[in-house]
Amino acid sequence: MDPMFLAYSYFRRRRFEDCATACGKLLEKNPYDQAAWALKMRALTEQVYVDEVENDEEGIAEMLMDDNVIASVSRPGTSLNTPATAQGPTSQAVRPVSQSGRPLSGVVRPGTQSGRPGTMEQALRTPRTAHTARPVTSASGRFVRLGTASMLSNPDGPFINLARLNFSKYASQQNVAKALFEYIFHHENDVKNALELAAMATQASQFKDWWWKVQLGKCYYRLGLFRDAEKQFRSALQQQETVDTISYLCKVYIRLDQPITTIDVFKRGLETFPGDTHLNTGIARIYEGLGDLNNAVKYYKEVLQNDNTNVEAIACLGTNHFYTDQPEIALRYYRRLLQMGVYNAELYNNLGLCCFYAQQYDMTLTCFERALSMASDELMADIWVNIAHVALGIGDTSLAYQVLKLALASNNDHAEAYNNLGVLEMNWSHIDQAKSCFLSAMQNGPHLFEPHYNFATLSEKIGDLQSSYKGVKKSLDIFPEHIDSKKLLEKLQEHFSML
Amino acid sequence: MLVPVFDFKLKHRINPRMVTVGKYDGIHPCLTAATTGGKVFIHNPHSRTTKAGGRIVYSGTDQDLVFLNINQAISAVSAGRLDPSSDADCLVIGTQTNVLAYDVQNNSDLFYKDVSDGVNSIVLGMLGNRNTPIAILGGNCSVQGYDWEGEDVYWTVAGDNVCSLALCDFNSDGKLELVVGSEDYDIRVFEEDELIAEMTETEAVTAICPIMGSRFGYSLANGTVGVYDRTARYWRIKSKNQAICIQSFDLDSDGVPELITGWSNGKIDARSDRTGEVVFKDTMKSAVAGLVTADYRMDGKTELICCSVEGEVRGYLPAPPELKGNLMDTNTDQDIVRELSQKRQNLLLELKNYEENAKASAIQKPAGLTAMDGSDVGIIPANTQLQTTLIVRMESEVEPTMSPELTQQLSKPHIELSVTTTNSCIIRAVMIFAEGIFEGESHVVHPHQSRLANSIAIPLTPPKDMPVDLHLKAFVGNRTSSQFHVFELSRQLPKFSAYMLMDQKVPSPAGSVTFHLNDRAQRVIMWINQNFLLNEDLELSGSLHLNFLCIRDSSPLRISMETNGQVVIETDNMELAGDLIQGITSYLNIQDLQTTAEFSEEMARLKEILVKVDEFHSVRQKLTAEMADHSNIIRSMVVRAEDARLMGDLKNMRKNYMELYNLNKDLISGYKIRCNNHSELLMCLKVVNQTIQKAGRLRVGKYKTQVISSCRGAIKNNNVSMLFKVIRSGST
Repeated sequence: MDPMFLAYSYFRRRRFEDCATACGKLLEKNPYDQAAWALKMRALTEQVYVDEVENDEEGIAEMLMDDNVIASVSRPGTSLNTPATAQGPTSQAVRPVSQSGRPLSGVVRPGTQSGRPGTMEQALRTPRTAHTARPVTSASGRFVRLGTASMLSNPDGPFINLARLNFSKYASQQNVAKALFEYIFHHENDVKNALELAAMATQASQFKDWWWKVQLGKCYYRLGLFRDAEKQFRSALQQQETVDTISYLCKVYIRLDQPITTIDVFKRGLETFPGDTHLNTGIARIYEGLGDLNNAVKYYKEVLQNDNTNVEAIACLGTNHFYTDQPEIALRYYRRLLQMGVYNAELYNNLGLCCFYAQQYDMTLTCFERALSMASDELMADIWVNIAHVALGIGDTSLAYQVLKLALASNNDHAEAYNNLGVLEMNWSHIDQAKSCFLSAMQNGPHLFEPHYNFATLSEKIGDLQSSYKGVKKSLDIFPEHIDSKKLLEKLQEHFSML
Repeated sequence: MLVPVFDFKLKHRINPRMVTVGKYDGIHPCLTAATTGGKVFIHNPHSRTTKAGGRIVYSGTDQDLVFLNINQAISAVSAGRLDPSSDADCLVIGTQTNVLAYDVQNNSDLFYKDVSDGVNSIVLGMLGNRNTPIAILGGNCSVQGYDWEGEDVYWTVAGDNVCSLALCDFNSDGKLELVVGSEDYDIRVFEEDELIAEMTETEAVTAICPIMGSRFGYSLANGTVGVYDRTARYWRIKSKNQAICIQSFDLDSDGVPELITGWSNGKIDARSDRTGEVVFKDTMKSAVAGLVTADYRMDGKTELICCSVEGEVRGYLPAPPELKGNLMDTNTDQDIVRELSQKRQNLLLELKNYEENAKASAIQKPAGLTAMDGSDVGIIPANTQLQTTLIVRMESEVEPTMSPELTQQLSKPHIELSVTTTNSCIIRAVMIFAEGIFEGESHVVHPHQSRLANSIAIPLTPPKDMPVDLHLKAFVGNRTSSQFHVFELSRQLPKFSAYMLMDQKVPSPAGSVTFHLNDRAQRVIMWINQNFLLNEDLELSGSLHLNFLCIRDSSPLRISMETNGQVVIETDNMELAGDLIQGITSYLNIQDLQTTAEFSEEMARLKEILVKVDEFHSVRQKLTAEMADHSNIIRSMVVRAEDARLMGDLKNMRKNYMELYNLNKDLISGYKIRCNNHSELLMCLKVVNQTIQKAGRLRVGKYKTQVISSCRGAIKNNNVSMLFKVIRSGST
């Protein structure tokens, strides 16, 4: 068989490694074979190709030393950085928040887990305790790892020596230039050189090829030059509207913290691509981030109208129904997820909770058992806490106590578990234990208001009004609308004025 | 006495000339100003729930401030309506490289554009026939207009860096014209993109503000403030301080706005727009940064708000009618007494002088001694006249005792102004007052006692081609008298006085402009007689061939006109050719004129510059990428180093910080390179814009507009050959 044909066949069957070796052999015979060269580049690129639009987590450094955001303090509801005050139907008391102060979402996505830390220490400590793999910067992390991996696979040096490459020569050859660009960008992860190539190529095509503009934009985005990226994406969109470009442009605006502009761009995209799942999901995510759950639900429903197998939309709607006191409906969404082939501990955990609230007790424990059998260590603690919740619900405090201990055994800085354990100890009048439980909960979960409130109540009971006042203040800082905290504060103020 | 209705401190510095007020939610005015570190702050006292009554008590002003990060040195800030579909104002922020239109209320961009010419001044409003507002940006020799979607809807060129912009109904047609002040001392007025008027001032025009109708105020970099009505100047005053900002506001409630000026020494004064008389003044602790007007207390009355660079903000309400426009301190009486007694002193002195003279003439004296006697008391013969002549000279005699500057000026070609008395009376001193020729506008010549004579020659070298009025004051008297008679007279220096008519052939210049005039050659000659400094008026002899030599750089200029109306102006200086054409056509009342221009040297230079611009752009891109890459690495290093510090790993921390230090040094040197690159790029772009401006000036009326817009199109499409064609032939 013709070796070139074989290589192509490998490529089409996504056997990229075989393809690369086949091309390598061809190139040994004839180093100037451009077809083989380009194919090898494509094969190598495909091996490490990641969807740039979805998988992009803001690094610690970017988050801390962010200077792209224009407004330092913006009106609530116009920025993703300032957590929205309860303006939706759900309050913190009903629907717990993530570390960023946003209501929990149905799916875990990059950026949903933790918010903007105030100090460097907080930023560095959170990933260590919260089991995230947040990279130091978005330019390091994932990208650097991939870059070094590609070096290792070629013991006798890299496939293409970028330093010796004559960019201007290849920039004008459109057939090779695109493959070469993707190779440099994805495989070598050398954004600077990729940018140079793209700039030359777009000039060579007399600024008429939108593809190059998108690539230039990607390079600028990666380098953190968001304004330049915006310009390129906008210019590309004028020539050719694609969902991909729109998504990139929106990512730029999210980085600039302009959610309203982002939604605008998405909506304009929807005019060209009506009912596009990706765009609708994008809008829903932003609304969710802004804490505007009514609109988020509206757009997730829109997504499901067009694509009834969309896992993200189903999960988010399910979560939303669960937290708006409709466990039966939530249950149906989660069962739909099971049909979609999602089969993991989180889902069974949710199903268990839904069953419990929908009073289908027979199913509850089975679901949790299944969840436990599949869970990893990190997840195990969460499931145990939920089981404890069920146990409290049926009034079995000793079971709840044991289960919470189990949760702490699998993850010893689980803030919610500490908090609940503290409440149990408090009820049994073990003041010192309760106190230390609340303190650990505060330390491990700075986003929770419950331990502060509980601590305040406990202190008030034992007569330590000063600590109680401090605790209730903190609780109100995190959740200003909490009625019980407000009441406690009033009571304390009365006490103080009497003194 | 008018006192401020509010006065508070913002505790943040305010950049001069970068203050504005915007209603970002459509209702509440917010003071907005650029501050240090590439930030803009918005002061919004209205968002608070509790409102103090009567006079607002501003307590914790800090919580009312919102900061916007721009991350670049801000060069201009302006707020106003831009989106025609909404009532809310939008904030437009300009830097040296780009412009951002920002919706403060919704925290979103309207548009963000790269402006390679930079932004020195921004004005928002409806220009000409438009019914939607646009943002007009004045930059490096160019004026650009964007609508709310960021579409580039307006473009024109100015002769030099634009310093100030204003919209004003210049010709009272109910539509707004654009008034542009630039660094080449010119105020230009554009109706849409057609230049309808041009006034020359004596320094860079730093601010312009519309006052009422066709009247507008202006201020110059040398401390001059004045008011124009159309092209006529009402008044002007000059101060040793610099006027930072001007604003029109009816402070004395007489229905006519006054011109309010904020000075660099912290003084604020309000002057009547008719006379320039000061009606109110006050002083701030530091230089004034900006003046704006707004209903800041939301009580239906508009205040004048003054901001100082130190962040002090004062608001003045218009004076209540019972003050009857008397806003100053009441000690004006004393001033008047002082002024009158000074006058009395002068009059007494003058009277004494006349008495002495009368006494002298009354005395019977022996014959032949009259002149001698007269000298004691300063009498000069009644028929004494002062004569002035202006001639262009290649060089004059130099005496060894003269100062080096004078020697230098005399040895080069110059215009000689000679002042002579008709008899033996000597001229003790000559004071010349003229705008734009001398430094500081006036010049005094007083020869040494031993060299007093009845004539004085004063060399003049006008730096620019413009008509200048010379106001002369000569002190005439006898050699020994201590009091002199003052002769006042004025002479006009014609526009092209710096060109000397030569009899012999001059070297042929490389550039030329050719056009056709449907007018008699006599009229052209009349124009030349008026506008050039000639020893005797020219007479017509068939076709016209004139050779001139510029006294500034000895470059030749040839003007010839054939009997069929074909006019050729040959010069290497494109600007001069433009000036000549503008002059001839306005004299002959020609509305539109198309010309063919050949300026090979200028074109070659332009070509070189365009190549350079391309190079600069690509280098800049590379440098930017490098810098962004570095800053990413720096960020990650900071995090790593901090991580090491928190873990107590001092060895690694030290290592990381050392690396950081080195990288930082790299970054700084990279930044310096980038700065140089940018400033050179700016220079090049300026030359390109100036060339387009000059090419425009070679044509008149609609052809001029056409040339400028086609040049713009050619540059936008990067079509160099098209650009040259447009400059040469005037059309695409």
